[in-house]
This record gives sequence, structure tokens and C-alpha cells, in this order.
Amino acid sequence: MNPTLFPWMIAVPLGVSPFVYLAGRLGSHKVELGGRSPFVRGLALLTMLATWVLFALSWAEFTSQNRSLLFHLDSIWLQADGISFLLAAMVLSLGTFVVLFSGPYIAGELGEEKYYAMLLAIIGIMVGLGSARDLFNLWMWFEAMAVSSYLLVAFYRERPTSLEAGMKYLVQSATGSVLVLLGIALILGTVGTLDMDQIRLAVASAASAPLPLLLAGALFVIGFGVKVAFVPLHTWLPDAHSQAPSGISAMLSGVVIEAGLIAMLRALSTLSGFSVSWGVLLLAFGALNMFFGNLMALRQTQIKRMLAYSSLSHIGYILIGLGIALSSGNPAGAQGAAFHLFNHMIMKGLAFLAAGALMYALLDQNGIHRPLEVNDLSGAAHKYPLAALALSIALLALGGLPPLAGFMSKWQIFVAGFQGANPWLMGLVIFAALNSVLSLAYYAPIVNMLYRRNMGEVVQGGARIPVAMSIPLVIFALAIVLIGLMPSLMNWLTEPAAQALLVMFGK
Amino acid sequence: MTLTPLNAVLFGVVLLLVVGFYGLLITRNLIKIVLVLQILVKAVVVALVLGGKASGNLGLGQSLAATVIVADTIVAVVALALAVQVRRRVGTLDLAKISSLRG
Amino acid sequence: MAAILIGLVIGLPWLGAIVIWRTTDDTPHLQHTLAVAFSIAAGLASLALIRFSSAETAISIPMGRYFGDLTFTADGLAVTLTAIACVIGSLAVIFSVDYMHGEGQLGRYYSFVLLFIGAMTGLLLSGNLLFMFFFWEITALCSYALISFYNDDPKAVAGGIKALIITQVGGVGLLAGALTTYSALGSYQVSDLIARAGTIPAGLLAVIAFGFLLAAAAKSAQFPFHTWLPDAMEAPTPISALIHAATMVNAGVYLLARFYPAFEHVPGWTMSVLMVGLITAFIAAVSALIATDLKRTLAYSTVSQLGYMVYAIGAGGVFASQFHLLSHAVFKALLFLAAGSVIHSIGTRDMRRMGGLGKRMPFVRNMFIVGALALAGVPILNGFWSKELILEVGLQGSPIWAYGLMLLGAGLTAFYTFRMVWLVFFGAERDQLHVHNAGSAMKVALGILAAGTFVTWLFFGGLNGLLASTLPFHEIEHESLMELVTAIPSAPATWLALLVVALGAGVSWVRVRGLRLFGGGWLDLLVETSFGFDSLNQTIAKGVNKLAGRLSFTQTGVLSWNVVGILGALLVVLIFLVWSA
Repeated sequence: MNPTLFPWMIAVPLGVSPFVYLAGRLGSHKVELGGRSPFVRGLALLTMLATWVLFALSWAEFTSQNRSLLFHLDSIWLQADGISFLLAAMVLSLGTFVVLFSGPYIAGELGEEKYYAMLLAIIGIMVGLGSARDLFNLWMWFEAMAVSSYLLVAFYRERPTSLEAGMKYLVQSATGSVLVLLGIALILGTVGTLDMDQIRLAVASAASAPLPLLLAGALFVIGFGVKVAFVPLHTWLPDAHSQAPSGISAMLSGVVIEAGLIAMLRALSTLSGFSVSWGVLLLAFGALNMFFGNLMALRQTQIKRMLAYSSLSHIGYILIGLGIALSSGNPAGAQGAAFHLFNHMIMKGLAFLAAGALMYALLDQNGIHRPLEVNDLSGAAHKYPLAALALSIALLALGGLPPLAGFMSKWQIFVAGFQGANPWLMGLVIFAALNSVLSLAYYAPIVNMLYRRNMGEVVQGGARIPVAMSIPLVIFALAIVLIGLMPSLMNWLTEPAAQALLVMFGK
Repeated sequence: MTLTPLNAVLFGVVLLLVVGFYGLLITRNLIKIVLVLQILVKAVVVALVLGGKASGNLGLGQSLAATVIVADTIVAVVALALAVQVRRRVGTLDLAKISSLRG
Repeated sequence: MAAILIGLVIGLPWLGAIVIWRTTDDTPHLQHTLAVAFSIAAGLASLALIRFSSAETAISIPMGRYFGDLTFTADGLAVTLTAIACVIGSLAVIFSVDYMHGEGQLGRYYSFVLLFIGAMTGLLLSGNLLFMFFFWEITALCSYALISFYNDDPKAVAGGIKALIITQVGGVGLLAGALTTYSALGSYQVSDLIARAGTIPAGLLAVIAFGFLLAAAAKSAQFPFHTWLPDAMEAPTPISALIHAATMVNAGVYLLARFYPAFEHVPGWTMSVLMVGLITAFIAAVSALIATDLKRTLAYSTVSQLGYMVYAIGAGGVFASQFHLLSHAVFKALLFLAAGSVIHSIGTRDMRRMGGLGKRMPFVRNMFIVGALALAGVPILNGFWSKELILEVGLQGSPIWAYGLMLLGAGLTAFYTFRMVWLVFFGAERDQLHVHNAGSAMKVALGILAAGTFVTWLFFGGLNGLLASTLPFHEIEHESLMELVTAIPSAPATWLALLVVALGAGVSWVRVRGLRLFGGGWLDLLVETSFGFDSLNQTIAKGVNKLAGRLSFTQTGVLSWNVVGILGALLVVLIFLVWSA
């Protein structure tokens, strides 16, 4: 096969990861506890920059060839299509800034070098997940991502709540993996191959849907669905996303769930041959997620837990977009969903990073180790204007207010829902719009709290926010506003992804 | 259902799954949970081999099974490491005692 | 030329918003100056735009497949309201220089005011339904931010969030209408909807028509969405004048006026519009009768007058509604700003603690009286002409009982207006209050507006010509000022109305002189809960919270239940798949 560059996007972060760990371990006896390992951070950042260069080169290759890039190592094949590049762009964007952000955040913590090592590893793994061509390979990347995330969630291993969250996450995620594997076994037994294209062909010629394949489909939906946080499989998410270090919370909500969703779509696409309404299934879960996520978020007083539930509802929007695309063949739905995938990464990433920066300054630096509450932020805008503005932009964008990014991607999904003049889809879009309004009921009070005149005690005792943390906030906030004003900025990424999705499902 | 070797193995897989899920639902001890997960994984391993045999691709089935065994051993190690940490910090392995996050 | 002016009218305020946002709050003088400069510039641009008004699309920018073309059209309807928004906007900003003197966080205040003005003009000038929705949402954001400007006051925060949620729910109506239009016509252009409404299937057209009515009712605080405006009075008074009297609440009336030709033949639509206007006008007037908070009284009055405008549209008098909108914007802004002077000076909004302030604030008293006379519909002020026109249109286009109720409403209007005047400025002083007279910036704003109430009705001919010539589908009759001046005084309906107004004023004089605040126990309760609708709001809010509370039990924290969830879902999905295959 022609030598192609995109596998290096996977290999570089994965390959550097053990070196980062080693460098951290070797240098640790020189740096006193409470100090920083700048070398580890620097190496991680350099790796990310190198991976960006590889992304740019691979993208150029992709657009010039105008079809998916293929690569194989013996019998393992990797394929980079529009969806792979969307996921890669998301992972690299968020990953780079999380590495930068984590510098001061994780400095001096127990196991700092493991953090960077696992972060780099999970970045490489997720790019790999997007490029899998057969079901088992997909599962391998998926499982690797899961294992890395277990370690990252339970990073604060001295805290019982962190361990609890990690343990429950592990058990539920492992259950999901088992279900996925059962589905794979069923497909292996029925079709005889695990290559996704070949399965598609074999299934397409089948007259009606045989029970084992339907069972496999259900297993895929639920098995991957645990990771994607479908309601009622989501119960691990509020704990895991709120207990993890803030940079990891951002990664989890922003890309890990989404990578799980892409894995599920890849797996389901193999079974799209017979006329089973996967679209309807996604729509149903979408509606459930949206409503449930919003309702649960209303009751939260802890910021990170609220943002975790908010992720549930945004997955709901994405599922609705996908459901519209799959049930009516409308590319607008697919593009809207792809756009919202990207936007949600930026918005939720910014929200978690801003909240994390405030948590760092208000609580961690003062040695207080408890979750950040809404009331802690009273009047924070006076002392931390940048972080407060960034958090406000992120929250209002998540609530779907113009002229911010979230409005544009939701709009695109809504347009798609109305294009077919199907009353069910139209009703669902209205329901989604009302849910957007509902979400403002918990986002807006936080913004108000930030801009109070009088600073609360917690704010008054807060420390500085380091520059390394402020840079990601500024860049993401700018991105949200720019994309909100010029949504076509992201078309270069979302259009190929939407096309690849529809091709995958045979529409 | 005739009792062919394949069907017998299939029955075995289902039995292991039932035992595994039942165990997952009722157990309260962290180490036992890891054990139960391993039972489920073994069920899946056998299922993969079974699937390979049923479609005439036994070699593929077996190699997948071997890979899964390795992969899930790693998961088990991580799980046990977490369990050790829990025991060290909280002093118990009882799941009910470490379930403080709710709502 | 129109294109450049449109760009200025939207762009200048937004540029100002960004510039002021970059200033720090320790340079208040700079912030005041910048705000005034940008708003006056926008005001001048909007007045210049009137000259170049035409029915043609002035700007068209393609925005990609899913968003249509971003178009702006400066026709008569748009430029009139734009001019109102920008001119009154600049007066409100000038007034703010004194009113907000010494307040903190001025940067946030002025940025949102200017952002609002730009978004409002964008909404009015927009020729693309989705972008109209875009600007609509931005005005809602600014309104929320400014209502809850005093973030430390939980009432202000609650008021802001309530306004946001209710207007957003209405916004869903606009969104649904816009999307349905697209799915039926393949275009987002306003002009397409109006021109081709007849080609849309009846069911879809009804969805669009009633969706827009929903959005308009929510934005203009009409029945049954009238509950947010009284609580929005927690905003600083210049904001109440600008957003909740002269501009944002007009957006709903604008929406109905703009799309009237498209929807007038939808069964039940015009009657619904009429009823919404009628009910609102009436219940708001009753509420104003017994309110004790000065700004609340004005808020109810605004809602009531908007009801008159909506009623006029329902009766087929689009032009009459716009004429009254012009008058109302001027005299209501005048009343709010004058009230603001009073409140700023004595530090309370409670009318029961006022009284006899006329002696100590003579200028403000006179300005307020001018506005009150216009509101009550006393000749020769602008309110008289426009209200009479509405009543005349109502007589011709609505059932006689509806006309009768609106006539009664005019009497109630006079009643509560003079009650307000008396309670604040005349009689004995009921409380020891420190009074200082209005600052010069306040006086300038008030003076200009008062002059306006005497004068704006003279633009009748010009306004009529403008609208008739640039709105091809609205079929507005050409009338000249002379016709108005001769027709109105000679119509018996006018004298009937004047009689009712005099009656209202007289009753007010009699009762208030005896210091009897009208109202009994049950009426108070009725008004306090906004005729039951606020309790409806509360019930919905509580219900949602309760549902959320019940649901939080699903997050048990117990692993076994989580696994049950997984297995249960698997079963459900499998059953669904088998059943649907």
C-alpha cells in the first residue's frame, strides 16, 4: 500500500507515552515534592504539536486523494475517512489544551508522570479508534481507551470518592465491553468475518433480519451505549466526570463519550443492510437523554456534576441529529450532528476548564478538597474576569443562545428535522427546542452568580489563576464566538464526516 | 434443540453469562466483583471460539479469544489495583460502605 | 446607500458594545461618553435611513446551504421602528448618564444596552426568518442580562430568568414557524413567505401563523404570557423605558404587523389576535388600577397599550397599530424616564409613600403630566389621534362588544393614569422623603420626549405614505394628515371616546381625592397572581422541579441498580428491534 502518514497520528502519542512516564520517574527524585516536572509537560506538549503537524499533512493527503486513506500492518487494516478526521481533530484540539491546562493543575500531585503518560496514550488510542476497519480492532481500541480512562478518573487515589467513581465506572464499562464482545461473537458466528465492509455486504444480501444479528445489534447499542451514557446506562457518568481532575473531566465529556458514540455508529453500520430502524432507536434515546439530563442538572448545586448531566442532554441533541439523518436520509441531520459533536467538545471543554481553573484558584490552592459549588462563585467576576467570562460564554453557548456556537449547530439539527415535513420529527424538534430553553434555567443562575457585586468569602480568599490555565480559556472562548458568527468555518470538517456517515449506513 | 457439541458449548456460554450477571447484581464485595467480571469475560471468550467454529473460521475465533484474555487480564489488574487502594484508604471492601455519591 | 446605513445602524451599536467592554470600570466618565456617542450616531443613522426606505432588499449575503441568504430590507415598517428604537435608545442612554451615576459595572451595563440596540435593529431590518430568530434571541439575552443587572438582588435575578424562560418559550414558536416555512417553501425569506403564503398547505400555514402569534404574545407580554413584564421592573429604569416600553416589547407587535397579509386568511387567526389584544388590554388596565408600585403601574399600562395595538391588527388596522406604536413609544418612554427621575431622587417605587412631590420636582411633574395626558388620550397630543384611530378601526373591523370593551378600557386608562399622577405629585406628602431635582441629562431626555408627544402625530401623512408605498402586500390606504384631522374630530365615535375618558378622569378625581385606593381583597389577589397566570407559571416551575427531584432517586449510587439499568435496557431494545423488524 502507498505509504501514508495518518497512522503516525496514532503512533506518535502512543509511542511517546512510555517515555514520558520514564522521564517523570527518573526525574522525580531530583524534584522535591510540591515542585513541578516541566520536562514531562514540555515533552507532552511537543508531542501534541508534532501530532498536529501530522494531522495537517494527513488532511492534505485526504483531500487531494478524495477518498479514505488506507494503511495496513500485516492483516490489521486502518482506514481514515471523514469521521476519523473529525474525531482526530476533536481529540487533538481538546487534548493539546488539556495538556497545557494541566500543567499547573497537576503539578506536584502524586503520579504526575502517569497522568501525562495516560493522557498522551488515550489521545493516540482515540485517533486509532476512529480509524478501525474491523469490529475486533474497534473493540481493542475501545477497550484500551476505557482502561486508560479508568486510571485517569481515579487519579486522586487518596480520595475515597474518586476511587468510588472509578470503581463503579470500571464495573459498568466492563459490563458494556462484555456485551459488545458478545455481539461480535454473534456476528462472527453468523457471518464468518469481522471486517466491517464484508459484513455489510453479507448482511445486505440477507432476505430478512435473522435473530442473532438483531441480538448483536441490541448488544452493540447497549454495550457501547454504556460508554456513550445513554439513559438508563449513564449512572456512572455524574460520579466519574465530577471526581476526575478537571482536565480529564473535559476530555471525558468532550471526546471520550463521543469516541464511544463513533465506535457504536461504526459497529451498527455493519448491520444497516436490513430495514431495521436504527434511526428511530437513536431518536428515542436522544429524546430520553435530553429530557433526563436537563431535569437532573436542574437539581445540582455542584458545578462539575451539573456539567456532567448537561453532557447527557447534549449527547441527546447529537443522537437526534443522527436519528434524523438515519431515518430520513437527510445529510443536514448528519452534518448538524457532526457540527454539534465538535461544538460540544469546545463548549463543554471550556466549561470544565474554566470551572477547573476557578476550583484550582478558590479551593485547591487553599488546600480545600471538596467539589466546587455554585454558591462559591458569588462575585467571582471581579477577581477572575477572564475565567468568569469564559465560563459564562461556555454556559450560554451550551444553552443555545446566539451568537455563540451551540446555537448554530442546534439550529442545523432543527432545520434537518423540519426538512422532511414529518410531523413526528417536527414535534421532536420542538421538544428539543423547549429542552434548550429548560437548560437555561440552570445555566443562567450561574452566570448571574458570577457577576454579583459582592464577592463571597470563598472568592475573596482565592489565589491567582496561572497563565497556562488562562490560555486555553481564551482560545476556546474566541472559538465559540467565531464559530457562532460564522458557522461555515467548520464545514471543511463536518461535511466529509456527514458524507462518510451516510455512506457507512448505505443511504 | 439437538444436543450437538456446538449446542452444548452454547448452553455453557449462556450458563456462564447467567451466573455472571446474577453475581454482578448481588455481590457486595469488591474482589468478588472482579471475579464475577472475569466469569463474564470467560463466557465471552468461549463465545468467540464458538462463533469461529460455527462459521468455519476457528483460527480467527481462537486468536480473538486469546487477545481478549490478555486484554481483560489488564482490566482485572487495574480493577484489583483500585480495590487495593479502596481497602487502604477506606478500610473496607464492602461496596455499600463506599457508595456515598448519589443524586 | 440604504445598505451602508443599515450596516451602520446595526454595526455602530455593536462596535460600541465591544469598545465599551474593553474599557475598565474605573473610567466611568469615558464609558458614559462612549455610550452616548455611539447611541447618538446610531440614532442619526436610523433617521437618515428613513429617506432611503424601499421595499427592495438592500443587503443580501449568502450564508451557506442551511441558513439561506442573510438579507436586510429597509421598508417603511422596519425603518419606522428602527428609528424609534435608536432614537429612544439614545435618549435612554443620555438619561442613564445621570441615573447610573456612581453605579458599578457600567461597562457591562452599556455593553448590553448597545448590544441590545444593534440586535433590535437587526431583528427589524432582517429579511430572513432564521436570522430574525437569531436577533430575536440576542434581544432576549440582553433583556435578561439587564433585568438581572443588580445581581445581588434575588428578585432581580428571578425576574430576569423568568423573562428569559417565558420569552424563549415563545421563541420556540418563531423557530417552528421559520422552520415550517422553510420546509414548505424552501426559502427563509420574509418576502417569500408573505408573497407565497397562499401556496402553503393550510395545516402548515396554521402552524406558522399560530407559532408566530405565540412568539409575539410572549415577547410583547400579551395574554397568556403577560406574567414576566411586571417582574422585569427590577431592571434599572432607563432599561425599563428602552426595552420594556419602547423597543423589545414592540417586536411582537412588529411580527404580527409584518406577517398580517400572510396569515389574515388562516381560519381563526385574526380572531385570536383580536382576542389576545382585547383580553390583555382589559386585564392589564384593571391591574394598573390597583398597583401600588409606580413602575409596575407603568408596566401594566404598557401591556395594556400593546393590547390595543394587537387588537388593532386583529381588526385589520395594521397602519393604526403602527401609528399608535409610534405615539406610545414616545409617551411611554417619557413616563418611564420621568418616573425614573422620581424614583432615583426619593429612592422608593412605592406610590403609597409618595405624594405632593409636584411642588418639589416641578419640571418632572410637568413632563409626567404631558405623558399622562397623551396616555389617556387627551387632544391634541399624539396619544389622542392614534388611540382614536384604533377605536375607529375597531368599530369597523371587530364585533361591537369587542369595541365596547376597548372603549371601556380607554376609560380605565384615563382612570389609572390620573390616579397615578395624583398619588405621586399631588395631595399631601405621605412620607418624609429626600427630594432632589433631576439632573441636566435627565432633563434633556425628558424635554425632547415631551416635545415629541405634541408633535409626532403630525407625521401621520408621512408615515402613511411611507408604509403604503413600501409594503406592497399590506394594502394600506393612502390617507393624508388633513384627512385625519378632519375625520377624527367629526366622528361620533371620537366624542363617545372622549366622554368615556372624561368620565374616567372624573371618577379618578373623585375617588383619589378621598385617598381611596381602588380595590378590595379579591381584586388584589387576582391581580397579584396576574389573573391566575402567575400561579400557572409557578405551578409549572414547581412541577418541573418536583419531577427532577423524583428523578434524582434514579442516581442511587448503588452499583446493582446501575447494572439492572443496563440489563433492562438491553431487554427493551431487543424487544423493540424484534418487533419492528
